[in-house]
Formats: sequence, C-alpha cells, structure tokens
Amino acid sequence: MFESYIEEYNEAVFEIDKEGALDVVESALEKGITPEQVVFNIIIPSIEEMMAVIEKDPDTNLAQHFMTAQIAAEITEKMLAKFTTPPEVIGRVIIGTSYGDLHSLGKRIVIGCLKSMMVEVIDLGVNVKPEDFVDAAVEHDAQVIAVSSMMVHTATGEEGSIRVRALLDERKLADKIKLVVGGAPYRFDHQLYTKAGADNWAADGVTAAKVISQLILEVKT
Amino acid sequence: MTPLEILSAAITGLPAPRIPIFCNLLDQGARELKMSPEQYFSRGEYVADAQLKMLKRYGHDNVWSLSYVGKEAQLLGCQKILFAKNGVPNVADFVIKSWDDIAKFEIPEDITQHPHWQSMDDCLKILSHEVGSTHPICAYVTASTTMPVLLMGMDKWMELVLTGPADLRDELVKKCSDFFQQQITALRAAGANVIIYSTPFGSPYFIPKKMISDWSMPWMQRDLKDGAAGVVYYCGMAPFNSVIEQVMEQLKVSVFYPSPLDDLAESKRIINTQGLTCGVIDDIKMINWTTEETRAEVKRMIEIGKAGGHFLFGTGVMPMDIPEENIVAMLEAAFEYGRYS
Repeated sequence: MFESYIEEYNEAVFEIDKEGALDVVESALEKGITPEQVVFNIIIPSIEEMMAVIEKDPDTNLAQHFMTAQIAAEITEKMLAKFTTPPEVIGRVIIGTSYGDLHSLGKRIVIGCLKSMMVEVIDLGVNVKPEDFVDAAVEHDAQVIAVSSMMVHTATGEEGSIRVRALLDERKLADKIKLVVGGAPYRFDHQLYTKAGADNWAADGVTAAKVISQLILEVKT
Repeated sequence: MTPLEILSAAITGLPAPRIPIFCNLLDQGARELKMSPEQYFSRGEYVADAQLKMLKRYGHDNVWSLSYVGKEAQLLGCQKILFAKNGVPNVADFVIKSWDDIAKFEIPEDITQHPHWQSMDDCLKILSHEVGSTHPICAYVTASTTMPVLLMGMDKWMELVLTGPADLRDELVKKCSDFFQQQITALRAAGANVIIYSTPFGSPYFIPKKMISDWSMPWMQRDLKDGAAGVVYYCGMAPFNSVIEQVMEQLKVSVFYPSPLDDLAESKRIINTQGLTCGVIDDIKMINWTTEETRAEVKRMIEIGKAGGHFLFGTGVMPMDIPEENIVAMLEAAFEYGRYS
C-alpha cells in the first residue's frame, strides 16, 4: 500500500519539487495514514531507495541530494510532533566540519537524512577542534563521529580527522566510537579516508547517512 | 614557439612541437617566498614574484594572477579571510547573512578603484611586463550563478536556488553578473589572456541538466555577453562532459577544463577539433602516489588526448602536500610524452 506513495514522493524529490513531495504526504495523511506510518513506511524507505539509486546512478546531483535531506527532515519534524509516543532513537552521532573548514552543505545533507532515520545528531557546527569532537562524543555517549572536509588540507591536515583518530586511540575509545569522513577530496582519492584515520567514508551526504547508521549498528552489536 | 604560441596552436589545431602544459601552483607561492600566507597574499608583487620564480624552476607554460578565490568576496565587502599555513584561504565572513540583505547588497561602481583590486592589478602588471608576450597569464572569475556561494555560503545559496523565491534569487544573480562583467573586462585590460570561468552551477553534478538549460545557461550567456575569447569552461573540478555540446553551441566557449572524474576519452571525443580539451590530472592522488605512478598516469592521459592535437595537459589546484618529486616527475613526463616531433 505504501509503494505508490514512495514512488510518487521520490519522483517529486528527484524533480526538486518540494511542494509535490509535501502533497504526497498530505494526501497520505488525508487517507488515514498515521504520522508514524508516514515516517517509517514512506520517508525512511524513500531515503533508502534514494540511497540505492545514488549508488547505482552517478548522474544524480547535489541538488537532488540536498532536497532528499531537506524535505525528509522537514516532514519528519512535523510528523514527530504528532506521534502518539516518542520514537526509539537508533543511535547518536557527533557531526561537524574539520578545523579550518567552513563549508557546511555536506554536513547539512547528512544531518537531514540522519534525523529522518531516527538517529540523534549533535551538530558542533563548522571549524571544530579535534578535542571537541571526542569530548562531545564521550559526553553524549555517541557511537559515531562524522567529520566533513571540503578542502584537501582540512581533510588530511594534522588538526583534522587524523587528530580525532589519535585522540580516540589515546583514550582507548576506538571500539566504542567509530570515525567517518566525507567531503570533496575523498571523491578524488577513494583511499584517502584511511590516511585520514577514518573507519569509513562516503561519497555524498545521502550515502553518508547510510554509512553512519551501519556503523552505529556495528558499535551497538 | 613560445608557450603562448603553443597554446594558440593547440586551440586552432596548427602544428606545434608539443602539447601545452599547465601547472596550477597557487598556495605554493607563500612557501616559495618563505612567507606566511597572510604576508604573501597581502601584495600583488609577492604573488607575481613567486609565480615567476616557480615558472623558472619548473618550466611549465602558465602563470597565475589569482591570489585566492575569496578575493572576489573581498571586492564585494567580505571583511575576513581565514588563512591556512598549508592550504586554501577560506571566506570567513559572509556579506549576505539573510535573504533580507540581498536587496541592500551593492556591487562597487568601479572595481578598479577598490583597495582589494590593487594587489590583483599590481600582480597582473608585473606578469604582463615579464611574460605577457610569451606565456599564458591565467585569471580566475567566478560565474554569476556561483558567486553567491562566496557571499552567503553554499548551503544557504542552494536553499535559495532550490526552494526560495525565484525573483530574489535572480536579483542577486543579476548583481553578481554585473560584477562579473566588470571583473572580466578589468582582468583582460590588465593583461590576463586566459580567463578561467568557474561555473559549478553549469555542471550536472550540482544541478539537473534541465535547470542548467533553463536557469544557469541564460545567466552564463549574460556573463559572457562580450565574447568568450580566452575563456576556459571550468566547474570547480566537478564533472560536466554531458553539457559540453550545449556549452559550445550556446556560449561559444571552445576551451574546456573537465574534472578528473570525467571520462577524458569522452571529453576529447565530444570536443574533438572544435576546441581544446584539457586533460586534468587527479592531483589529490598525487599526494600519495610514487613518482612512477605519477609518470604512468601522465602517460595514460596524454596517450588518450594527444592524437589529433587540440589537447592540453593540466592540473587541478595542486594541494600543498604533493611531494616536490611528484611535481617534477609529472612535468618531466608531460614534456616527454607530450612531444609531437
């Protein structure tokens, strides 16, 4: 019963038609679909389907990724206010851009997707010191630290994820907190994430949400 | 033949002893002069001096008048740049903080009177005097549809482009297009003979092709209304093979600087003899490659592009972590494999 909604919703998102996507949800609610069903049976499967499409189709674009995240986050926030009981959070992630890096688009896409997937996100913003990532992860009992870098020197520099990795190792937290990185430089060298000390990486914001939720499950099991 | 003549021959398809070889050394200038980035970028003379020194040392074909991309934002009111000792300076103060700021945002009446123009002008004058008749002098100009990224940040701009009021979006782009036209005219007048037209919103990696046709293209046509002489189509290292034919037809641009993520053979097939295909090495990988790996990649690329002429070998923005020996290996290989005779 939800397949047609998912199809129509994703069609609208892919066409960067925010109103169209909101109409699909509105129409579902009018037909008696609950807010919980909207999130768990339409929005989350739609994001997962989008992830599969992006993985197969390199011609998807940043605008589509952005809209996937923004629309999903907006609808989820509205639906959550109408939930009869608060949903179970699957895990927690600390996110920010690396020290010296002020580019926030990728981070914003990741956050939008994660929130819709019931992952609690603590956003430290831009230009974040390595110590702050680790301290926040410990304080909030997060399973993952996500570091976004748009420039080569912030992706591979000593004050970026390399230092986060060193701190996790020093404090013997490597099994409890996983480190994921993303951003333009990693798209050009797929092995760069290992040099940056990360456990994994993602080529785009939507896929990053998938990678992060998998790492959360890995830590929790 | 001079490097400038070799470049011209490659564009027109005339015989030349070798392909043109571009190496974009920008942030390396501060290291070259043993200065902090703040000190180095404070004067156009320093940038010109470093460019000429590096040109002499490496022997590539081009020099750059660009200090850093954020300079354009400074011409439009940006008050703070975040410098880094090992990389690209960042815009740290957005001129447009909310949509309400767009109405009151103004471009300078004459950018050549702006204090931040002075260093660019000084740099270009020196380069022009020293190598203007023999070498390509590159300048960088951001397209009107991308300039707002420097003014308000990428995510805020993306939000306005995709979900905001179209009239407000276009009000800002029009101002940026007016600024672009002033800037390209001033850069040409000061001696730049290669204009890198940075237009990420002209790449299908950023927005759908339909949006490029319906929205970006008319603005790009407006940006380049005075002609595309010396203009290089570049999308900030984002791929754009699938729009090359449209750009050639509608913008009359004939020189393309594709992404290393584009299929180079496909770029060459599309552009063919109608213009110049630039083969751009993935210089992020060069950070960790051996000299042998670097040479092998240069050889592979030149084998794809060299036949039939109309080909240039070039780099991205050359991260500072690339080992010196890889820069040397890359250029040696490019000169060796790029020979026609």
